[in-house]
Amino acid sequence: MSEQAVQEVALRVALERAIARKSDGYDQRARQYADQLVGTKLDKTQIRGLETLAGTTDKVSDITDWLKLRVGRDSGRERWAKEGIGRDLVNQLEGLRNDAKKIAQGLGRGDPDLERQVHLRLCREFLKHLAAHFEYLKAEE
Amino acid sequence: MSELEYLLKRKQSIAAWSDRWQADAARFADGHRDLLPKRITNAQLYGLGNVVRSARRYADIERFIRHQAEKAERAGRLDVQGYWNDLKDALGKLRGEAQALLKTLPFPAGMDNREGLDALHRELAEVYVQHLIAHSLYQT
Repeated sequence: MSEQAVQEVALRVALERAIARKSDGYDQRARQYADQLVGTKLDKTQIRGLETLAGTTDKVSDITDWLKLRVGRDSGRERWAKEGIGRDLVNQLEGLRNDAKKIAQGLGRGDPDLERQVHLRLCREFLKHLAAHFEYLKAEE
Repeated sequence: MSELEYLLKRKQSIAAWSDRWQADAARFADGHRDLLPKRITNAQLYGLGNVVRSARRYADIERFIRHQAEKAERAGRLDVQGYWNDLKDALGKLRGEAQALLKTLPFPAGMDNREGLDALHRELAEVYVQHLIAHSLYQT
């Protein structure tokens, strides 16, 4: 294996570790969102839909657009718009950009798109925790 | 660059562009907030979304927007006409963005440059309108 390939692997491992560390830190906050979401009329299909979208898109903006649309359409304020939960979640996910920036800076790579890609990964991690807690709470109901 | 490499790089470039330009589309929506949702209705925004998604060429989008502006003018709704004219300008400027993206994405051999530019312009407009609709509904 060439020196460059070894460095590439080392950076990848460091990136995965940094994301895993952050992900563990999101568990508690995601649990709080799940607690709130269980109090709405949302069911697990909609939460899974969001998790699936996050797992398949290559854009953070697709995730926040999805949420914004659903907040906007919830005129009865019984689902995503209930007590500002959807807006808080949009802000939460957008705020993960700061964590992504720190991770990307810490790795010191020259890839200008790295921060955005890490941000997307962190959104996926956050929503994975949220969906798991939500399903757990729903099953307990 | 092989065609597959080109397509992958193109996809990644558009994704990065989309995330960068979401804030600009949100600013456009915020700047016209007083017209939402009464003067510019959700149905009109959904109609715009449908046209943009189904358009084959950028000119189809521009024709739709121009038509909306003309209808508003005939009805004496100058604020609504202004909205559509502003949107036409905002989307028209994305041609420059498409050109800039293409500088980093040279076409594979055999691809028509003019058609490629138009296709990219149309795609950027679609992304911009997706952000615009989401933020407009969100604010109302």
